Amino acid sequence: MINTFKNFSYRSVASIPKLEVTMVLEATMICIDNSEWMRNGDYTPSRFQAQAEAVNLICGAKTQLNPENTVGVMTMAGKGVRVLVTPTSDLGKILACMHGLEIGGEMNLAAGIQVSQLALKHRQNKKQQQRIIVFAGSPIKHDKKLLEMIGKRLKKNSVALDIVNFGEEDDSKTEKLEALLAAVSNNDSSHIVHVPPGPNALSDVLISTPIFTGDGEGGSGFAAAAAAAAAGGVSGYDFGVDPNLDPELALALRVSMEEERARQEAAAKKATEEAGKQENEGEQQSNSQDTTMTDQVIAPVSEADTKKNDMMDEENALLQQALAMSMDDPSSSQDLRDTDMSDAAADDPELALALQLSVQDSTKDSASQSDMSKLLTDQSFVSSILASLPGVDTNDPSVKDMLASMQNQSEVSSLNFIGANRNIPLAWIINLTFFLMLCLC
Amino acid sequence: MSAESAATNMLRSQVDLLDFIDWSGVECLNYNSSHPLPNAVKQGYREDDGLNLESDADEQLLIYLPFTQVVKLHSIVVKGPEEEGPKTVKLFSNREHMGFSNVNDFPPSDKAVLSSDNLKGHPVVLKFVKFQNVRSLTIFIEDNQTGSEITKVLKIALFGTTVETTDMKGLKKIEDHQH
Repeated sequence: MINTFKNFSYRSVASIPKLEVTMVLEATMICIDNSEWMRNGDYTPSRFQAQAEAVNLICGAKTQLNPENTVGVMTMAGKGVRVLVTPTSDLGKILACMHGLEIGGEMNLAAGIQVSQLALKHRQNKKQQQRIIVFAGSPIKHDKKLLEMIGKRLKKNSVALDIVNFGEEDDSKTEKLEALLAAVSNNDSSHIVHVPPGPNALSDVLISTPIFTGDGEGGSGFAAAAAAAAAGGVSGYDFGVDPNLDPELALALRVSMEEERARQEAAAKKATEEAGKQENEGEQQSNSQDTTMTDQVIAPVSEADTKKNDMMDEENALLQQALAMSMDDPSSSQDLRDTDMSDAAADDPELALALQLSVQDSTKDSASQSDMSKLLTDQSFVSSILASLPGVDTNDPSVKDMLASMQNQSEVSSLNFIGANRNIPLAWIINLTFFLMLCLC
Repeated sequence: MSAESAATNMLRSQVDLLDFIDWSGVECLNYNSSHPLPNAVKQGYREDDGLNLESDADEQLLIYLPFTQVVKLHSIVVKGPEEEGPKTVKLFSNREHMGFSNVNDFPPSDKAVLSSDNLKGHPVVLKFVKFQNVRSLTIFIEDNQTGSEITKVLKIALFGTTVETTDMKGLKKIEDHQH
């Protein structure tokens, strides 16, 4: 969980302006290229699969932008130009029609666009703006003049056109598509995107383009959410919570995120002062975001209850300490950790879970091992514990031997001690006591 | 619209129907976005000869004007420049959401071929009987005077009467006279 979030770019998080998106009422027809050229594997897993994935994402994006948006799908190759589903707002129907599509034949771009235009003309809600999205993967056999005429007709009927140029590449294809776009283009509502084959998935490349984001800020909110979804495999909502379903929780999480960031900066400064380890700051920030169980998408903070703020402060402080511990940061005060963790964990079972998760994840880093060893190497601490136990003399050589062996043992078996944070020292003490009893008897 | 014009004879029934246009439903196809429809139709803009409505991809224009109430259309004025002004204008009454593809599927309610006189502001009188019950008007400008690529329109004005208002005022007057 932590690793996937680490890969997410922090820059795009900061660039998301707002949660609300402007509603552009649109009817879209998507033209799929299912010709023989789509068998090629230069896009993973194959051109056709990459295209299908992109289509699914677009459908989701459009229907989310505005519940009254409709999307239709048609194929341009195969047995012939065929409309799979007429413009509908039912996302399930659209996605279902993508199953069982066969590859074959040759793409007929002109016929495809004309049929799309017809399908859009007969849309139910005449108030919707018309848009066609074409996936052009195979070479284009029509000449430029014809494409320009088609483009002009689209412009005349105020239909916008988005072209995704991928797959086969030759100069004339690019030139023809650019000419088509120029003929259609009216107010920059039409776009073309060239996607060369490469390691990035077709859908990932498209997410940042105006095809997803719309003409203005219109889709940027969703685009970022979709990007987060693609990166993290979570649903395309901020913080994994639908703001419509649970606005208070979404708001609380958002506030918590902001508070956490503020805390992080304060703690980071503190860390540099105390430990002088400045390189940890960046890591701490990204890790703290990981463990606060949220997506990386942030919406601006609207006014929150002060009561919620106080709770967030406490929780954030604790989370931060959990992190500091997992990050092997000596500046974190371990005493505080124990008491605060136990208090907070007692109050809030969810927080305890979060702490457990963070600790469990960090066992892979073997950070807690070092904590344990730190505890044990702290001679004063060990001797104080031992002194408090009845019948133990710290100067006893057997005790000293046992201590040495305990240190070695802890590095190997510290994993066994990991349960809940608050139980670690207790478990250790119990184990130590037991061992002592065995030795001395 | 006003009581006086309703009371006077039918020849002077022309009221500028600009006030009855439902602006939220106005549509125009194939216009150049820097020269939009309000330039030709809206008060103030249409009087300004510097502002005009221009076509974009080719010389045809399709304008859809819904009204806030039922009107009777008597005549229209279409002003434009000598060369690029519109020539053949087809009017369709009560047909919604027409496109260029189906515009020739229906016979027009009226058709006007504009002369240069008309382009200077002389109104074109329409077949009044065909426009008795107009909820919306579609104006299809098919071509222009010289066959140039772009059609330019300076002003479009509609004249006629409203239906309900006339009746109500008429009723009121009769009652007054009786008493």
